[in-house]
Amino acid sequence: MIGQILGHCRVVAKIGEGGMGVVYRAYDEVLHRDVAVKVVNKGARIDSSASQRLLHEARASSSLSHPNICTIHEVGETNGELYIVMELVEGKSLQAMSGDGGLPPESVLRYGAQIASALTRAHDRGIVHRDLKTANIVVAPDGLVKVLDFGLAKQVGGSLFEGTTRTFATVQEASSVSGTLPYMAPEILRGDAADYRTDLWALGVVLYEAASGRLPFEGRTGFEISSAIMREIPRPLGPPIPPGLWAIVQRCLTKEPIQRYQRASEIQAALEAVQSAGIVASTPGLDPGAPRTAVLHSVRHVQVKKGDFLLLLGTTKGAFILRSNTQRRRWEVGGPYFHGHSVYAMAYDNRAGQHRIWASTASYWGTLLRSSDDFGKSWTNPQQAPIRFPSDAGVSLKNIWQITLGRAEEPDLLYCGVEPAALFETRDAGGSWSLVRGLFAHPHRPRWMPGNGGLALHTVLLDPADNQRIYVAISAGGVYRTDDGGQTWTAQNRGIRAMTMPERYPEFGQCVHKIVMHPARPERLFLQSHWGLYRSDDSAENWLDIANGVPSDFGFAMVGHPRNPDCVYIVPVESDEFRCACDGRLRVYRTRNGGASWEPLARGLPQKRAYETVLRDAITVDAFDPSGIYFGTRSGQLFGSSDEGKSWQKILEGLPAIVCVRSAVVEDASAGATKTKAVPVRDRETTAHSKKRTSLRAKR
Amino acid sequence: MPITFHIPGALREFTAGRGTVEIKSSPTTLAEALSALWTLYPGVRDRIATEQGQVREHINVFIGNENSRYTGGLASPITSGTEISIVPAVSGG
Repeated sequence: MIGQILGHCRVVAKIGEGGMGVVYRAYDEVLHRDVAVKVVNKGARIDSSASQRLLHEARASSSLSHPNICTIHEVGETNGELYIVMELVEGKSLQAMSGDGGLPPESVLRYGAQIASALTRAHDRGIVHRDLKTANIVVAPDGLVKVLDFGLAKQVGGSLFEGTTRTFATVQEASSVSGTLPYMAPEILRGDAADYRTDLWALGVVLYEAASGRLPFEGRTGFEISSAIMREIPRPLGPPIPPGLWAIVQRCLTKEPIQRYQRASEIQAALEAVQSAGIVASTPGLDPGAPRTAVLHSVRHVQVKKGDFLLLLGTTKGAFILRSNTQRRRWEVGGPYFHGHSVYAMAYDNRAGQHRIWASTASYWGTLLRSSDDFGKSWTNPQQAPIRFPSDAGVSLKNIWQITLGRAEEPDLLYCGVEPAALFETRDAGGSWSLVRGLFAHPHRPRWMPGNGGLALHTVLLDPADNQRIYVAISAGGVYRTDDGGQTWTAQNRGIRAMTMPERYPEFGQCVHKIVMHPARPERLFLQSHWGLYRSDDSAENWLDIANGVPSDFGFAMVGHPRNPDCVYIVPVESDEFRCACDGRLRVYRTRNGGASWEPLARGLPQKRAYETVLRDAITVDAFDPSGIYFGTRSGQLFGSSDEGKSWQKILEGLPAIVCVRSAVVEDASAGATKTKAVPVRDRETTAHSKKRTSLRAKR
Repeated sequence: MPITFHIPGALREFTAGRGTVEIKSSPTTLAEALSALWTLYPGVRDRIATEQGQVREHINVFIGNENSRYTGGLASPITSGTEISIVPAVSGG
């Protein structure tokens, strides 16, 4: 074969031999480059299966273009010789590199993430590798990983190769199963068909082998190996392997495919997260190898790109991310994140060029502030709770009700309002949090009383024009304001009735459910109380009753229009005793004149037996024009309007109780918009409404 | 004999995947045993205890078969070979 011409390649030297062919180094005399040529060994061909298998490999792989997948250049046949011309990959196989003791953990993580990236691409194209093993992975001297031999690949869901795939499977089982047996998933041994998760099992074996230098399932015979794969748990990988890496391997090597990762991209994200955890300096005294990122079960992720529009949903059993575009017609649903944890607060933080989603989680195991920089694919899971009361406070954190970003010019500043009522701040983007002592030491605090939801500081508003002025709302404590950055606070409840106290207008103690402020007119605030709707035009010095014509002035949810400071939306409920939509008719009410009058917005909302409740943070607006409005109910329904409330559509149902809804535009959406465009929230002018009705139906 | 902790699945990502953890030292109280546990695995501490050092409301710590809430709480005595189980309490919602 040496010296022969195959196509326009001259064979130079033999460099390897596999079960179905010989691999040669060759020179492409047309394109003047070194290549590898795989030639089917005629002698090995029992029938046409080997030829077909080789062609299949080539066709499958040639559709894949990815830096971590060996590129197929050409497929051909000359004088009965089937051959494939492919990228010449020079380096060592991962099998050879793993040796007896395994590779350093950093290398395992680095190579593993690249392999997972290659699988992600292949799986996205419907191609399953089916023969992933360390011998099929080459690492170049510069550390670039190449996955070779998509030789057993199967076009999942396609019909073109279906028949040949079955043939291949038969041949494989009959003739060469021993070569890959240690990498085979239990379901394959049971006779089930391979799918993506078969590759994810094999990746677990590869990671284990790379980390330890030994296979997770061993035996002297095929029977013993099969038995181990089916029944045994691999020996744990201890130090220096980070626990996070071991957790990933374990998840890959779960016997039941449904309990493994469901996508290679999840493994890639998890490996990268463990990688970054090793680089990021850890808190002194903590185990540096401990995982920073949780491994999530059965989570669907959204693929977010520039210009996308997101809704962040917090529920009593986890969080969801909905992705759409500027049209806001179709929605892709990601999640659930934080299975079973209550997520009462979420926020999207795009300051300083980042894309960070913040979420608070509360469960049996405590309350944590978490964040994701990759739109939910991985979340921080800090060993030590970031927000914690100091020991001298004498109380413990129960819940985080509000995450408020600092002003644009203060990208490292955030606030959290918590239960029991207190305010925390960070000035290093969440690196460390501290209790705002000025408010915690307020002489009123011992006399604040918990409402039905606990004693919560649930709203934090920053005056955009005055970086020393902050408002907070406490249920039940009332509104407090600081004009000196948090050192001193005054109760600002003049004019607000307290229906649950003997004194009708006390200095403090009102059960305020929500306050909103328009950024373009920060001296104006609106307030929804436990019985009562109010407006202040003097920075909360005085409150004016504006319950003019609403069916009930009891409610929780309230949100301001993004541009019109006279416009606010509420969702009244019938009464304190019956906290459901009035008369079983779900209606949003809007004022466009600062509360002088209110109009119901009900088109598209259920008007019969709709005993729904919308909680205080379960409503939001977007910054488009016309503005979108979105709210979720305790019954797990999400409604949206893309025309400022004139008409509504149900976006999603069947969720756990929705307690938080937030919106976000990923970077500037104006370039992709047609009928709508993003408008800075400080603009006062309300642009003409689009007449086009849009569908808001979700795709799950 | 060492003290053995039984770790629930939700916390194993903080114990290197281990379902059981043995403490070689000789704690005499539950507080000492827990302290030894989170010296080994710091991530479990804030999941089990509040920042005021109390076991969380919906977490039960069993010493053998007895709920430590009824045996003296964190001051409950621990003897050699004791098995300690950390279990979420039954609660709804």
